[in-house]
Amino acid sequence: MRHLLDLYDSGVLRRALLEAVLVGALCGAVGAHVVLRRLPFFTITVAHATFPGIVLATIVGLSELVGGLLFVFMLILAIYVVAGERRLDTNTAVGVALAGSFGLGVMLQSTQNGFSKDLTAILVGSVLTVQRHDVVTTFIVGMVVLCALIATHKELVYRAFDPQGAEAQGYRRVLDLVLLLAVGATVVATIPAVGTILAVALLSVPAMTARLVTRRVGTAMVVGAGYGAASSVLGLTASAEWNYAAGASIALASATLFVCTFIIVSARDQVSRHRVLPSVAHA
Amino acid sequence: MLSAIRFLTEPFTPQYMQRAMLITLVLALLAGVVGVLVQLRELSFMSDALTHTVFPGVAIAFAAGQSLFVGALLAGAVSSVLLTFATRSKRIDQDSFVALLLAGLFSIGVVVISRHHTYSADLTALLFGRLLAVDTREVIETAAVALVALGVVVAMRKELLLRAFDEIGAEAMGYSLLRIDLAVNLVVALVVVAAVRAVGTALVVAFLITPAATARLLCSTLTRLVVTSVAIGAIGAWLGLVISYDASIHQGWRLAPGATIVVVLTAIFATVAMYQGVRTRALGHRATRSATT
Repeated sequence: MRHLLDLYDSGVLRRALLEAVLVGALCGAVGAHVVLRRLPFFTITVAHATFPGIVLATIVGLSELVGGLLFVFMLILAIYVVAGERRLDTNTAVGVALAGSFGLGVMLQSTQNGFSKDLTAILVGSVLTVQRHDVVTTFIVGMVVLCALIATHKELVYRAFDPQGAEAQGYRRVLDLVLLLAVGATVVATIPAVGTILAVALLSVPAMTARLVTRRVGTAMVVGAGYGAASSVLGLTASAEWNYAAGASIALASATLFVCTFIIVSARDQVSRHRVLPSVAHA
Repeated sequence: MLSAIRFLTEPFTPQYMQRAMLITLVLALLAGVVGVLVQLRELSFMSDALTHTVFPGVAIAFAAGQSLFVGALLAGAVSSVLLTFATRSKRIDQDSFVALLLAGLFSIGVVVISRHHTYSADLTALLFGRLLAVDTREVIETAAVALVALGVVVAMRKELLLRAFDEIGAEAMGYSLLRIDLAVNLVVALVVVAAVRAVGTALVVAFLITPAATARLLCSTLTRLVVTSVAIGAIGAWLGLVISYDASIHQGWRLAPGATIVVVLTAIFATVAMYQGVRTRALGHRATRSATT
């Protein structure tokens, strides 16, 4: 235990831990909606779409955050419009956008020097090299996203469970756009820590785990944030101890927490079922 | 005219470009056919998941110094079984389950690779392939996988179609949906395996989704869908290779060939989608006008 605490003596690791915990908690909370509205595939696409944005921004000399956000918001608007027109199957449009933006990102990247190093950082993250401003950005984006989600919480939950009812009461589809943009902003804030490919892990796995424990959406957001933060601490510590990629380690930790929780919850259900059955038989 | 022909054929004088062309054509054929199946069954997410879950097999094989091809094959088999069961889970939401497997298995791959000295370069090569460095053996391996996968599709075409269009009917007639779904996912996994060397596990999803989605905008009978999808894949592969070659040799811009093919395929899709959008809107206006008069 003492040894593990010593790992965090260095400033680099402490900053990495702060960023990872912020990202984990934010993703865990937002993830409740991702799981509820079945948006994992959409999340993957958004994460891939940041890739050409980030590459273009570095070529032009803009901030990565701005480039990523710009591309993601454009893509979300495009998907939103296509889904509204109902001429194309949404999933197909999402799939084409996913593959295309990834190809565009790799193509743009290949024109630059130092091809593979930066590519790895974007793809699987590099939490150990985050700067102070990355941490601040994550915090600000997180606050904005959480405020938006809390402000529209009642309406979002209503829409998720009864879309027709919500529409009949006059709630607009713009609500969906709020949610999609919130997910997009979260993904962009997550990329420095876990990268484009693994962002979906933090945005769905902790929330799935929370859902095993609670059925209420609000509670799931809080529990999910806890699971997300715990995945970050566990993952980062393991990666520092055994010296392997931090982003992947965090994703793996979140999956491990899911499996453990699943086993515990199943076992508990089994036990309580056994306890209930005899009393039913008596009655 | 002559210069246009030369522009399109000249890149294929070097041997490595011929091999690259050959392997992408095999891929276009295979992914074009399987892509139609992916479209009919709306398996875009599943194909993306399979491209990620094959990766750990490749990574482990690479780290152990074994054949990448065998690693990909094993991981493809295991993960298509896992994913098939994930889509049948009643307890956990299916999309989230697939996302869990995707992220979990992919990170195992990254963890394994990250222990290596040349981490970055290796990861890039495994994710995006080395199209210009494929050798004859790899072309043959890819062709063999393509042959097997196409063989399965042709042999099972009746069951696959029945399942796609009438799930309840298929079950009532006594077909095992589990077996059919397993076969479909295995075939998609084989496409990913076939693509590992050429375009890598990350870009193959474009071959699987984009040409067939474009074909779906253009036609609706099955034969036409398959023919169009394969043709679009082949044209995209050819144009992409030509553009990347020309840009790299004559213009001094380095464009990664695999990614260029993907961008060309997406551009073809976008053009067709816009054309169709404008056309249906024009037709729709005409229809509503005639309906009101």
